[in-house]
Formats: sequence, C-alpha cells, structure tokens
Amino acid sequence: MQLKNAPFGGLVLAAMALPGVWHVSAHAENAPEQGLVSLRFLNYQDSQPGWKRVTVNSPSFLLAAPLGRDWGLEATATVDHVSGATPRFHSNVSGASTMDDERKAGDLKVTRYFQRASVSLGGAYSTEHDYLSRAFSLAGTLASDDNNTTWNAGFGHAGDKIDPTDGGYDGNVADQRKRTNDFIVGVTQAVTGDDLVQANLTHSRSTGYLNDPYKALDARPSERRQTALLLRWNHHFAGDGSTLRSSYRAYNDSWQVKASTLQLEWVKPVGGGVSLTPLLRYYTQSAASFYADPVYDTTLGAPFPVGWDANAYNSLDQRLSAFGAFTLGLKLQWAVDELWTFDLKGEAYQQRGEWRAGGEGSKGLEPFKARMVQVGISRKF
Amino acid sequence: MSARAEAQADDLGFGFGAMACECEIRIAGLGRKKAEPMAREAIDEVRRIESKFSRYRDASVVSRINAAAGSGQPVEVDVETADLLDFAAQLHASSGGLFDITSGMLRQAWDFKAGRKPADGQLAQLLPRVGWNKLRWQRRGPGQVGRIELPMAGMELDFGGFGKEYAADRAATLLQSRGVRHGMVNLGGDIRLIGPRPDGRPWVLGVQHPRHERSLIARIDLADGALATSGDYERFFEHDGVRYCHVLDPRSGMPVSHWQSVSVVAPACLAAGALTTIAMLLQGDALAFLQSQNVGYLAVDAQGAIHRHEIWQRGESAAVSP
Repeated sequence: MQLKNAPFGGLVLAAMALPGVWHVSAHAENAPEQGLVSLRFLNYQDSQPGWKRVTVNSPSFLLAAPLGRDWGLEATATVDHVSGATPRFHSNVSGASTMDDERKAGDLKVTRYFQRASVSLGGAYSTEHDYLSRAFSLAGTLASDDNNTTWNAGFGHAGDKIDPTDGGYDGNVADQRKRTNDFIVGVTQAVTGDDLVQANLTHSRSTGYLNDPYKALDARPSERRQTALLLRWNHHFAGDGSTLRSSYRAYNDSWQVKASTLQLEWVKPVGGGVSLTPLLRYYTQSAASFYADPVYDTTLGAPFPVGWDANAYNSLDQRLSAFGAFTLGLKLQWAVDELWTFDLKGEAYQQRGEWRAGGEGSKGLEPFKARMVQVGISRKF
Repeated sequence: MSARAEAQADDLGFGFGAMACECEIRIAGLGRKKAEPMAREAIDEVRRIESKFSRYRDASVVSRINAAAGSGQPVEVDVETADLLDFAAQLHASSGGLFDITSGMLRQAWDFKAGRKPADGQLAQLLPRVGWNKLRWQRRGPGQVGRIELPMAGMELDFGGFGKEYAADRAATLLQSRGVRHGMVNLGGDIRLIGPRPDGRPWVLGVQHPRHERSLIARIDLADGALATSGDYERFFEHDGVRYCHVLDPRSGMPVSHWQSVSVVAPACLAAGALTTIAMLLQGDALAFLQSQNVGYLAVDAQGAIHRHEIWQRGESAAVSP
C-alpha cells in the first residue's frame, strides 16, 4: 500500500514546501521537467573619450526542452549586428578601421541524465563575413551518494577560419586557421544547506593564426596556452531570502598575461516576484610580453614603437596591455506568474591603465568605457 | 561479528530532552564516529527551533510578539517565522477556523494538573482575545520578511501545535542532506523517518493505546515519511465521569470529546502533526477531512472503535514518498 500515487491535500503540500522540511538535494541530476523559451535583446556600446567605437545589437533566442524522462535539449540562436570602428593600434582614433558586420551563431546541446550523472554533447556554429567557427564539446557530471558533491569534467574543440576583408591591415592575410582545445575539471560542494562552493580549473591551448588581422604590426606567437582557476561561493541568507554570489578567478597564459577577477553579486528579492541583483566586478591583468606601449620610434613615427623589430612578436592591441577594470551592474528580474519571467539588465564597464593592481599599468592609453543593456522575456512550457 | 550483529551495532540512538519531552535521533549504518557529530548537529537544530519559537523562552520570537500585544507596535519577523505564520494561516483557513495559534491562552482557564474546570465567566472573558482573524499579519510574498501585530493586550501566539513537528522535519532533512540514509527523528512520539533500516526493511512503529498506557493499539511498518499522534490522554482530568482533555475548541474554549486519539502518516511530520490536531477539533467531520488530504489516518473514537485508512492494514509496509 502506498500513499504516493494519489495527490496529497493542500496542507500536506504546504508543509512540505517550507524550507528544510523536505529534502531536496542540491544538485540532483534531473532532466528538466519543464521547457523554456527565452528571447533577449542586447545593446552594447563602447567608447573612448571623444568617439563612440563599436555598437552591437543582438537578439538571441534560447530553447530548453525535456525530451522524454532522461534527455534534455538546449539550443540558442544569436544574431549580432556590429557596427562602428576599432583602432588600428593602441587607442588611436584617426587610424580606426570601420566595420559593419553581422554575426550569426547557434549551438545545440543534448544531455542524457542518469541516476547520479549526466553526459552532454554539444555543437556550435558561428559565422561572420570574415570569420567562421565550428566547435563541439563533451561534458559530464557525477554526484556523490548524498548529492552534496558534484564533480564535472569536459572537453571542447573549436576550429576557426579567418579570411579578413581586403586581407586585413597588411592586405595579405587570407584563409588562416586557428584551433583550440579546452579542458575543464571541477567540483561543487554543498557545505551547508545555505552554502555552495565550487572550484573549476580550465586549460586551453590555441594554435594557428592568433593575430588580429585588422591591427597594425600585430604579430603574435602561434600558440597560446591559458590556464584559469575559478573559485565560487554562494551563500543564501535565510533571514531575508537573499543570495550573495562571490567568485575569484585567477588566470595566466603563455603570453605572460596574468589576470585576476573578483566578482560580487547579491540577489535580493524585494517582493511581488521581483528580485534585484547588483553586481560589482574588478578585473586586472598584466601586459602580454610582446605588448608595446604607445611610445613611437622617432624616425619611423606612429604606429612603430620604440625598438620595433620586424622579426619579433609585437602587439599594439589595447586588450593585451596592463590595466584594471571595474564593472557595475544591476539586474531586475520579475517573475510575472508561474510561467512568464521578464528581466532587464544594465552594466557599465570602465578600464584604465592606472587601475591595475599588483604592478604598473600600461601608460599612454585612453580610458576605455562600455555599457550594455539587455532585456529579456522567458516563458516556461 | 555476524552481519546481523554488525548491522545492529551500527543502529545508534542519541537520546536528549527538548520541548518538554523525550527525544531521540536514530542513525543506522554509519558507525559512531560519523553518526555522533551529525546527531549533535541535528539536536542543535531542534534546540534552535525550541529557543526561537517557544513561548516559555523570553528571548523567543513568539515571546517578543506576545510581549508587544496591545502596544500598537507591529513586530517584524524573519523569513522562517513568516513561513510558519503563513502555514498557520493556511491551517486556520483549511480547518474552518478550528486550528488557531491564538487559542493557546485558553488553557489559562483549565488547570489539568489540579483537575479544575474554568470558573464561571472565565472563558467568556478570554474568548474575545482568541482569533487568528483578529490579528494583523502582513507579508508581501514568499521569501519575504513579515510584520505581525496582536491588537489586544493579553492576546498570545503559541507555536505548540506544530513547532515540535517542524523541528523533527528540519532535523531529519538536515541529516539527509549530510548523507544519512537510515534512521529517524523522534520528538516525543512525533516521528519523521530519514530512511529504512540499512538492509532496506522498514522500521516498525507502534501507536500507544489511548486508554492503556503500556500497550499498543496499532503498528505500522514505515520506511519513510512521518507519523504523528494527538490524543485526549496526553493532558486531561475527569470530573463527574466526563473527560476534559487539553485539545480546546477555539470557539467555545471547551475540550473536544469525539476522538480518543488520531494518528496520521504523511510525508512530513509538520503535516502529520497539524492534521492530527485538526482532526481532533473537527470531531465528527474528521475522517472526511483526512481523506481529502489523502493521508494515512488511524482514529480511535470515543467508544474505542478504530477507523483506519487502508495504509494501516496489518502486516504491510507502507511508503509515503510523494
């Protein structure tokens, strides 16, 4: 004789819904029981003093659906419309290269759920008029008997084809290839009912054409090995129902870029199904070993840096300089009812050489700013 | 050691006193070294709930609310307390107003130790201060804090109707989240199971006979879920051949008399315990109500006859997972 096959009365269900009354394991490997469709629109704009650089308008579509009891499917499709200009070197305005491009990207992931494990296989495709990327990934999770510990591991491979407009800055770059292999291992542990900690170690190796074809004098090594350790801690406050998500990421690569990211996010329910999430992120990095400051050779003039050697690695890309950056963000999420969710997110980003921590920042670069606004609407089905 | 003896050696009971009754955490299949610190943690959780919600503790949330009665000042309560108050509101609504956490103060009129009935007019004096509908309870929604105000001096809240059961669930869930798979939490007869015995067999639970303290009226094999019992034998006195028990109707202040005891098997002890109390109060309407909640009940009426849900059939083990 079992009670379980008939539905319980409202009071029984109400009792079971109280926190801590009924055990819901932190990461049971359950196939999604409900599907989700979500439509988002993102607007991004970056700028430097005196000029607006790149504007991105990007609608995206996400679908997550259960396939029977043990399978799940996730698919996304994105179209980015990018227009504007990026500097040919450093933060130089006059030498900017203008672009007006559209990127179409999609990916598909299928997951098989087992009692304590899951295995996912994914594929991704992205194309711009001068760039094509194809990738696949294989990932798995395994949970302990008590479901308090989950291990994860994954592998990914991406193959890119680069065929810049008019051959790029030098006019002679065509049909270049880049390959990347990624590995990830991690563990997530429920320390208490209110604390979740996670550690993820990723390593990736890219080979092939790693230059930016639109930048002047850009010559980078044909191999980049990147390693990052991400530590996360989520704490739930039973008192007001809010959650503090904190993370630290340490990164270094074979180009001598060392970076750290510290992020805090506080998810605060404010009533009526609305939650507000302020975000603060600090990022700092050292310069790549071959990055050259904007101090130009007196004979050759800009963009040739002092001591320029045509046979050595070189980059004047601001993204490889030493800098620090702050991001401030705020997200509003509104669960309208059981099925519909609306969200609105804004982020402001600013990067400066003098904000670097643990060493001197690169000098002579204009501060770089970006802002992002995203609206989204999702429906469960 | 034989396998059987080994299994028994691993069946550990940790007894303690809390909430004015004898309590036990039972953890099987783990060994003392692992089980003991977890049992201590579970006991701490029971004590936390007791000190937070007991009306006998001056520092408790309930005492704080009661102390502010009639002051015109609402008391802000945290999410956990607000969840329990919302649950109390649901119990009140679903029981036609019979389950009422403001009715505890009616016991001032009844001295069960001395066996004394209320003095003339005493109940009439107390009843105006009883009623969930008379207090002001505000909460914007789930996951939020709330504000409660008892508008009249002398009004009182009492979480006694479900605090112990809530503690049993919280302790059991805590142990489950620590990986305990076999055992139970027993707080003075309100039992929440953590899982079956290590060999997969269910535990055998007995229900006390309402008129013979040392014998059992029924037994049930349970592997999970919870069992709670409410009876007219816990605190009572007899006067002129009439039994007056501690379960009081909030409308009249008088004890109920339809059932000697009601036991309920439900997934959570909080549900089982609240439903036994509501069943006692509903008197003749109890069985239809318990059927509508689809729980496994065993009720002993005033004549001693047993009314049972089919889960209580002899010799069968039951499963109550949702």
